[in-house]
Amino acid sequence: MTHATTFILCLVGFASLAVAMERHQKGLFGRILEARATRWTRTAGWLILLSALVVVVKGQGWSIGLVSYSGHTSAGAGLVFVALAVHGWLRPKRRA
Amino acid sequence: MNAGGKTATKARSLRQAMSDLHIWVGLLPGWILYAMFLTGTVSYFRDELSQWMRPELPAYTAVGQGPVVAGRLTSAMREIAPRASAWSIGMPNERTNVAAVSWLSASTFQSADLNPVTGERLTVRQTRGGDFFYAFHYQFHYMPRHVGRLLAGLCGMFMLVAIISGVIVHKKIFTDFFTFRWGKGQGSWLDAHNALAVFGLPFHIMVTYSGLVILMQLYMPWGSAMAFETAAERQRLTAEIAPIVPPSKPRGEQVELANIASMVRLAEARWGQDQVGRLLISNPDDAAAKVVVIRDEAGRASNSPQYLLFDATGKLIRAKVRVGPAAEVHGVLYALHLGRFADYVTRWLYFLVSLAGTAMVGTGLVLWVVKRKQRLPDHERPHVGLRLVEKLNIASIGGLSIAMAAFLWANRLLPAHLPGRSAWEIHIFFIVWAVTFAHALARPAKTAWIEQLWFGAAALLLLPALGAATTDRGLVSSLSASDWVFVGVDLTLLALGGLHAWMAMAVLRHKPMRRRAKQEASDDVAHQANIRDVAAT
Repeated sequence: MTHATTFILCLVGFASLAVAMERHQKGLFGRILEARATRWTRTAGWLILLSALVVVVKGQGWSIGLVSYSGHTSAGAGLVFVALAVHGWLRPKRRA
Repeated sequence: MNAGGKTATKARSLRQAMSDLHIWVGLLPGWILYAMFLTGTVSYFRDELSQWMRPELPAYTAVGQGPVVAGRLTSAMREIAPRASAWSIGMPNERTNVAAVSWLSASTFQSADLNPVTGERLTVRQTRGGDFFYAFHYQFHYMPRHVGRLLAGLCGMFMLVAIISGVIVHKKIFTDFFTFRWGKGQGSWLDAHNALAVFGLPFHIMVTYSGLVILMQLYMPWGSAMAFETAAERQRLTAEIAPIVPPSKPRGEQVELANIASMVRLAEARWGQDQVGRLLISNPDDAAAKVVVIRDEAGRASNSPQYLLFDATGKLIRAKVRVGPAAEVHGVLYALHLGRFADYVTRWLYFLVSLAGTAMVGTGLVLWVVKRKQRLPDHERPHVGLRLVEKLNIASIGGLSIAMAAFLWANRLLPAHLPGRSAWEIHIFFIVWAVTFAHALARPAKTAWIEQLWFGAAALLLLPALGAATTDRGLVSSLSASDWVFVGVDLTLLALGGLHAWMAMAVLRHKPMRRRAKQEASDDVAHQANIRDVAAT
């Protein structure tokens, strides 16, 4: 359960951080979001990643928890990257 | 202004220097590093792979209580090696279905696998199982152990330099964090290389550094040689990092060893049920016997020794519970590298991130070639060095997958009672690997990539079918029996086979940047000629 929660939080956290970046805003929405929205998304992303750390350390202790956190952050960020790459690959086709 | 300009040049040249360092330090040991990374990655499932490679042995669900099993295995050792001066008994756990035992008899070291339920010596197909990949990833094969380990350490140091210089070279680690650009040739490869490196960076640094620390004593012995001069001091050092208790001189007085089961019971009372990992018994059945009951590594992120020491009468002499801070750092790094403490989710994360590390090394090797090929003038044939690097890339990436699959094919196909069977499984691995190198040399690069990736895909995808044909534990029956180790290995093989097929198709569809530009130009000419034709009619 701790594992699932941590992973989902890491995934959402990194997705928020990606959405807060201009390049991906253009790719996803075709425009740049307002500065305020961007700032909020970025702050939320960091807070969610921090809450994942709290969850996993509470559930597994510092030593094992930090190892799990490292794994879940890598996997979460990797999945966001793959999703954005797949989105970038599908987009030109949809237009055609 | 002037000063600012100077720093800028300096910064540029530092980055340039680091870039050159990264490129060459990454390339030279790259093929060995790739093999170390990939065989190390599968070693996270070493015990599961060993189970898969001994299909005759069921996954025992009820081996029995720790104390009972310990007593049973000790009796078995008395039958197998009555005159040995030391026994080592590995307790079965939820990941293994054998008890790995070894003993020292007339100063030669021997080992065997026992059935933990009956205590019988196993006579099923002889195989090194997952232990082969594990041992290969730090000491290779066909060479003295210490030579292999020195080589592995050297490559590890190159890896560490490559990681640090890579981080310095990577200009936009944060702005490019999630960036992947399709169809940009070298740029796409660089994006993939960066992503694989950055997302797994904590793991890559940890695994490289801890790997070096594990082998540290071997290639940097001078520090401890200076600090610990006498044999007794060195023994104290060893005792801090490994559960080794020097045996006493045998007294020659026959005494029946006290009840092992009660010693294990005492240990379980301290550490919890099934927490005993290994038993070491020196001079069994002598009055000077010593029994070391060693704690398992599951659930604690350190493999610093924790053990209880008993004498021949079963009296507790010493309980080792903690080590000094330096030794603890060593123990933690060691445990982090091996990940034996990990539960299944964390083990999968280890596997996936380590696989990303393998791909990082692989994409780095490919990038080296792509970058140089893209720069080539149109009609020039690649330089011999470039061609050699490309061929080595093919055999060490595509070829290694085929060789590893061949190892598993050999496990299923070699006759069960072939003499030297487990050695032959390994010979086949190397023979197949050598053949893939010959194939890469003989064929044009792109064809060789495609053929080897397709062959690897087929070899991996057909393994579950081979398993179903040669054993009664195919995917369907293991699914219905909830035999998760076999299900897991089979599904992972299918996934890896699919990955190879995808890579093969990607190479097949890929048009190199250089030729594509030319192609478009000639398409343009043809198009204009068409227009002229149409206009003329």
